[in-house]
Amino acid sequence: MRAVTEQGFRWLAVVLVWGLGCVQWATAAQSVLSAVLTPTQITVGQSSQLTVKTLGAGLEAIVLPTVAGLELRIVEQSHHLEMVHGVSLGTTTTRVSVTPLTAGVYAIPGLTPTAEPLVLRVSVDDTIGKPPPKATTAAAPARPRAGETIHLSADGSAFLRLSLPKREVFVGESVPVEIELGLRPGFVNSLNGLPTLTNADFTLNNLSRQPQRSERVVDGVGFAVLTWHSVVAPVRPGTFTLSVESPITIRQRLRPESEAKLEDQLGDPFMQNIYGKTVKKDIKVASPPVELDVLALPSEGRPATFSGAVGSFRITSELVPDKAAAGDPLSLRMRISGSGNFDRVDSEMLEHLDQWKTYPPKSSFAAGDSVGYQGEKSFEQALIASHAGSQTLPPLSFSFFDPEARRYATVTSTPLQVTITPAAGDPSAPVAISVPDGTSTSGGTPAPGSVAGGPAPTTGGLRPDHAVSGSSVRSLRPLYLQAPFLAGSAVLVLGFAGSAWRVGRVARGAADLQRRRVRRHSAIQRALAAGEAAAQARDSLAFCVAARELIDAQRPLVPDVDGQFANLHGGAVLPPELQELALIVDAQRYASAPPIAVDWSRWLETLRRAAGAREPT
Amino acid sequence: MRLRRLVVFSGVFCLVFWSPACRLHAESGDTSPALSAATLYNQGNAYARAGKPGLAVLNYERARLLAPADADIAANLATVRAAAHVAAPTPGGMARLLLSASPNVFAWVGMLGLLLAGFGFVVFVGARRWRGAAAAAIIGGGLGVATCVADVILCWPTLHAAVIITPETPVRVAPAPMSDSLFALHEAEVVRIEAAHEGFWLVRTTADRTGWVAVADLARIVP
Repeated sequence: MRAVTEQGFRWLAVVLVWGLGCVQWATAAQSVLSAVLTPTQITVGQSSQLTVKTLGAGLEAIVLPTVAGLELRIVEQSHHLEMVHGVSLGTTTTRVSVTPLTAGVYAIPGLTPTAEPLVLRVSVDDTIGKPPPKATTAAAPARPRAGETIHLSADGSAFLRLSLPKREVFVGESVPVEIELGLRPGFVNSLNGLPTLTNADFTLNNLSRQPQRSERVVDGVGFAVLTWHSVVAPVRPGTFTLSVESPITIRQRLRPESEAKLEDQLGDPFMQNIYGKTVKKDIKVASPPVELDVLALPSEGRPATFSGAVGSFRITSELVPDKAAAGDPLSLRMRISGSGNFDRVDSEMLEHLDQWKTYPPKSSFAAGDSVGYQGEKSFEQALIASHAGSQTLPPLSFSFFDPEARRYATVTSTPLQVTITPAAGDPSAPVAISVPDGTSTSGGTPAPGSVAGGPAPTTGGLRPDHAVSGSSVRSLRPLYLQAPFLAGSAVLVLGFAGSAWRVGRVARGAADLQRRRVRRHSAIQRALAAGEAAAQARDSLAFCVAARELIDAQRPLVPDVDGQFANLHGGAVLPPELQELALIVDAQRYASAPPIAVDWSRWLETLRRAAGAREPT
Repeated sequence: MRLRRLVVFSGVFCLVFWSPACRLHAESGDTSPALSAATLYNQGNAYARAGKPGLAVLNYERARLLAPADADIAANLATVRAAAHVAAPTPGGMARLLLSASPNVFAWVGMLGLLLAGFGFVVFVGARRWRGAAAAAIIGGGLGVATCVADVILCWPTLHAAVIITPETPVRVAPAPMSDSLFALHEAEVVRIEAAHEGFWLVRTTADRTGWVAVADLARIVP
């Protein structure tokens, strides 16, 4: 019962506080007769004037609101007595100087009679009249990045965060950074300056003049977040801790934090100021320190023309115009683009050039982003040719240190061709060129190929330029040292070696076969002669021996007699009488069979036919 | 019959092998700028006019690799060397003869010689009737290959040569920036590279002196 009663009193107190607040706000709003802001659109560095006319004769009638990023300061206050319908009214006119610290769109609430906020648009010089940047108008609360923690100040009114893309940098290298300053509305009275580095070994360059504005909820509390993009550059090697700090004025509560939860819940700064006693206090909010390793630039391989540029750069050049008369000025432009410390990008361009008068170059920088980390630096040099003819300006080069590759690099532009014609009214144009028929003429452009044949006239001790034509190569390395050529040669050698081995093997086989055929032919002829002699002598045993030798003459090729016969005759088997003869011969020779009656004419014919059939073709 | 088939096979083999190889080489993503003797010669002239004899000699030497017989290149090279008080290397008679043409020409001569000798060898092994012609082809092809090899040998110093491109380049006793300096090399002087170590090259001069030079102070004729 007692708990219920206490809870009821608490709710009653809340309602009373809320009601009193509303009454006071309504009273205050009603006391303001008018509030005019002029102008409503200014640039950074200018101030706008807020004129507030209130009833009464005291300053307590106006409570200046707190707007992060705006400095409101009362500069003048005057009292007037006016007669309206016979009634005297005392009014107070208060002039307030409104000075923005940064660009953006600001709403000044709680001053006009209709409770409509006054809107002040602050832009940089070149954006007047243009819509504000998206980041400024975007009201979507930003989310903290994964893996990053936010460290609030001791009183929880602000935070400052420094984001670096890497932890190892080289001396002089520009490193893009992001600085976020979170301000809790109602708790931060003013921002007293831009963030600065706490370490003197680094320089913070080009703080962007137009921070992004967003909102973020940290631990359930909303913060207005100002984000700057800039670059830091270390000035000496070593291991350092780096952080940023920013001066702000906060409203510090006098009551313990445990008793101030109600004001936190109300959220409205005016309500907090009214019902939570605060005092102003200047503090510096700092970001958590970040450890950085700063490496020295190597001394090995440092080009003589290295000017301290660290980053990644490209170079282009052009000559405008590419045709001119002697004595006319030409403009040689060199553009170095990329990312890095452009303040150290420098070049002397062409200091001395024979037959040319050169002037010191001028440079200009066009930033590609808000901090000047990316962009293009242009160098322009005036040149005047003193002699006519076709000339080539030497390529321009620029040396820098590439932190990604960790080495020095030199980029070179392409040589520029220019044709200089003789000046008007100058009959003594000094350029002489040869023509194919051996005569020479003055002025003009050298004819292609005119200098390759014979001794061409010299210009300043040098023979003139050649017309660029003919074949070109991609590499100066000779073909016989290039991998595709060597691989092709190796494959050719292997191919020829393999072909030779194969061809040699086939040729040796053919020769062996030829030799064997000749030997067989001789043996067959000998056996046939012996068989004919035996037949003439009617010597059956000798005939059988001769026939056997004739058959054996085939054995070195194929051991099987039937198969041999089949091979020799394209698959056909010899007549059966020859096979019968072979059997009889074997019987006569190895079984000592008695002589048989022989039909000499038929056997001799069979033997001759067999010998003829076996002759090599 | 077999010989004809072999010749046809070899021809088809060469076509089939070389055309893709050449196409692959051309399409290998080589984005380096096209170099010609005229471009390099004009570049050398430009450097000479700009008072940079080292870079001028470097470009002349490179131009001479592509067009060794060009009289203008030789003349301007001699002029710039004389102006820079740098002695010019004098090749011998045989070297002059071989250096009268581009190394790429000799590369193709060697390749043709290889083809000729290869065909000749195969014919010599396979066809007894054509052995005389095959032997002649082998000898001719071998001469072509030998010419190419001789050019490689003669060009080898040039392939490992570099030109000093900064005035009074110190030659150090060790490959370290703080090491003692032995002597100084004049700009436009040509040296031979023998070794490399952490941003330094060990060079040998025409006077046969050696020492370490920072990489940034010289440039190779054949990069």
